[in-house]
Amino acid sequence: MHRMKWLLISLAALVFMSAGAEKLTFVLDVTENRSDEGQAIVAQLQAIGIDASLRVWQSTVLRDEMLAGNRSASTSDWGSAYFDPFDLAIPKLRTKDRGNYSFYSNPAVDEAFRIASTSIDDATRSEAYLTAQRQIFADAPLVFSYVLQNIEAASDNVRGWEPAADNSENFARASVIGSDTLVIGMRVDAIVTLDPAMYRDRDTEAVLRNIFDALTIPTAQGQVQPHLATAWRVVDPLTYEFDLRSGVTFSNGEVLDADDVVFTFERILTEGAIDGATSPRAGLLGPIDHVEKVDATTVRFVYKETFPQELVLQALTHFQIVPKDYLSEVGVAAFTAKPIGSGPFAYARGALDSQVVLEANPTHWNGAPELKSVVWQMMPEASTRIAALLAGEVHVIQAVPPDLVERIASVPGVGVHTALGTRSYQIELNNAAAPFNDTRVRQALNYAIDWDSILKNIYRGYADRLSTVFLPSGFGYAQDLAPYPYDPAKAKELLRQAGYETN
Amino acid sequence: MRLTKLLERVLSAIPVALGVAVLAFMFLRFLPGDPVEIMLGDTQVSQQQLDSLRSQLHLDKPLLAQLGIFLSGLIRGDLGVSIVKNAPVAKLIGDTLPATIELTIATVLVGILIAMPVGIISAVRAGSWLDRTALSGALVGISMPAFWFGLLMILLFAVELRVLPTSGRIAATMVVDKTTGFMLVDTLLAGNLKAFGGALKHLILPALTLGVVFAAVLARVVRTSMLEVLGKDYVTTARAKGLREWGVILKHALRNALIPALTVTGLQFGELLGGNMIVETVFAWPGLGRLVVSSIFARDYVVVQAAVMLYALTYVGANLVVDALYTLLNPRISL
Repeated sequence: MHRMKWLLISLAALVFMSAGAEKLTFVLDVTENRSDEGQAIVAQLQAIGIDASLRVWQSTVLRDEMLAGNRSASTSDWGSAYFDPFDLAIPKLRTKDRGNYSFYSNPAVDEAFRIASTSIDDATRSEAYLTAQRQIFADAPLVFSYVLQNIEAASDNVRGWEPAADNSENFARASVIGSDTLVIGMRVDAIVTLDPAMYRDRDTEAVLRNIFDALTIPTAQGQVQPHLATAWRVVDPLTYEFDLRSGVTFSNGEVLDADDVVFTFERILTEGAIDGATSPRAGLLGPIDHVEKVDATTVRFVYKETFPQELVLQALTHFQIVPKDYLSEVGVAAFTAKPIGSGPFAYARGALDSQVVLEANPTHWNGAPELKSVVWQMMPEASTRIAALLAGEVHVIQAVPPDLVERIASVPGVGVHTALGTRSYQIELNNAAAPFNDTRVRQALNYAIDWDSILKNIYRGYADRLSTVFLPSGFGYAQDLAPYPYDPAKAKELLRQAGYETN
Repeated sequence: MRLTKLLERVLSAIPVALGVAVLAFMFLRFLPGDPVEIMLGDTQVSQQQLDSLRSQLHLDKPLLAQLGIFLSGLIRGDLGVSIVKNAPVAKLIGDTLPATIELTIATVLVGILIAMPVGIISAVRAGSWLDRTALSGALVGISMPAFWFGLLMILLFAVELRVLPTSGRIAATMVVDKTTGFMLVDTLLAGNLKAFGGALKHLILPALTLGVVFAAVLARVVRTSMLEVLGKDYVTTARAKGLREWGVILKHALRNALIPALTVTGLQFGELLGGNMIVETVFAWPGLGRLVVSSIFARDYVVVQAAVMLYALTYVGANLVVDALYTLLNPRISL
């Protein structure tokens, strides 16, 4: 009888306890390209007593769901075109900004971001970014994850080329032993256009950057160098002045001067300037007011608000200068069908969804390229690109999936080449709703996932851990901030503090 | 009488196409995702810039107003301008369609060339080892994913043997002026036999990949209907008249057995003309399937709704041609 009573009491206690502390339960929503990773994560979370399950989505649909606040944990990725957190960390983590799928809001971080995107002093900007990173790290609004490397492959006969962090392909100094033509297998099924005002994707830009020149040019690692602009200075906090290289001509002989530069930017900044359509590129220039000509070889960029010089210089690498006279004379349609630029190569022929053929521009101001022609072959399937490289049909291929690297590495005569990536991958957590409105729970998830094992096994080591969503290749990166370590004990401890049962 | 019937059928395709277009228009708008958001990608963009782009593309207007713009354009023969590519949709489809038609014709030819003899012999020698081999072969063909089979073909013929190119329609070194868009025709028109040979070589692997799968389906249909017809009285009569066996099979039996095969071929034709996205991707074949699928992912409504309408017309057209061919094969059938 006595025993029975104790049994009943302990049973009641058990029922009471399990009613009081439940497991952390949520669905991890992943995009289709990350389902393997998602499975590994869910298994790791389950091992410490988190009741996580997996669901796979098409990325566009998932983004809409996230923005509507319908999801609690979802994978996402965001790329940077600036080598600066300006277009990565800021849109992702500033209160109510465009990429803030986690609904994170911290006034201190917002203030740091404001300083970093408006100050014209590099030290101040850098300091603001460091402050923001430490605060974001502590708040753990997301599960900080990794940056994938940009993996490309090439024949050993290719010289003077390396993959770039931003997926651009610069063939101005490239050559191929035994061939005067270089063929590159592109990762996309089509580029968008040949009009430098009407695209937003990197693949179109990769082709256009070989046909046109910009005022500045990035190195493969993202450092800005002079190009059509030879020097620049700050006139006043809202105005930057650029000296243009003299003696530059377009491939039709037209001289490139300040009029062409002003024309190029007016097309982009004026609504409806491209036969009634508006360029989708204006946003890349920041809070610009207008571009004006000072004299034939000097232009000024005038801003509405202060905008850091480094960001202006980075932005300018993305704007290809077009010939005003030729374009005005033939019209947009004819120009898009047969563009004329001042770049190392000139457009010869092709179709945007199959192959684009460029021929060397022998009169390029920086010297004629060694190659006679470059062929951009659209090959959307990775296995086909690799087959074409192995068959000797192409010399360079983009986007080798990590699990197919082995196939290339084992064949003599071809090699894998990598560059730093510029895209942060993470898991968004809905900070505005339970269970992830509790910092301890978000931190717990950051401790609970063994990223090193995932990066090694799924991405074959071609990925690097991130401490936040700031990239090591970007400005103001906190070198000393180590990523959350894999610490399941700590994760369980934090979950218990937050009132959840663990294993 | 027949001509009016034919005309009636052609005209009845118009409301079908329109209905499909409206349905496609509505369904696309129910898909989550905003084309402007997708197009602008990961960047700092102000709300004002987003709004101005949306209004330029009429995406800010109510659904019915957008439908009105689409339909009134349609009446004027204007399919609209692609949201992402800023090019007329008619041009985009016109650029990709010849590649798809070329591949479709080649595929159907490959399919018929394999399936007819295999199907007929299987039926005539039903139960023999030949028949059993053909049947199991057909089963493998139907079950095989085209994606995987295509890659195997590339690895064998392009990488190992190096007798055929991996992908594309023609080598970049060949300069072919575009007149019809059909590579085989354009190279012949230009009198460039070397380019013609090159284009033919590029066509072989994708056509084989799709053709083998189609042949597997077709061979089974031909076998079944041949078996049925061979048991009919008129075939026995023909044999009794002392006609030669192969004459009976090819002249008397096959003609009637062709009707189901024709149906399958017609449907296949309609389907292939939509473009096979997977095979087009594996072989980097710049056809309609790839255009449509990439437009769906980019939510480029304007391209997708026009393509869906074209699909509807293609199916109606293919069915019409099949029905017309029935009457030729069997005069008892009328339209």
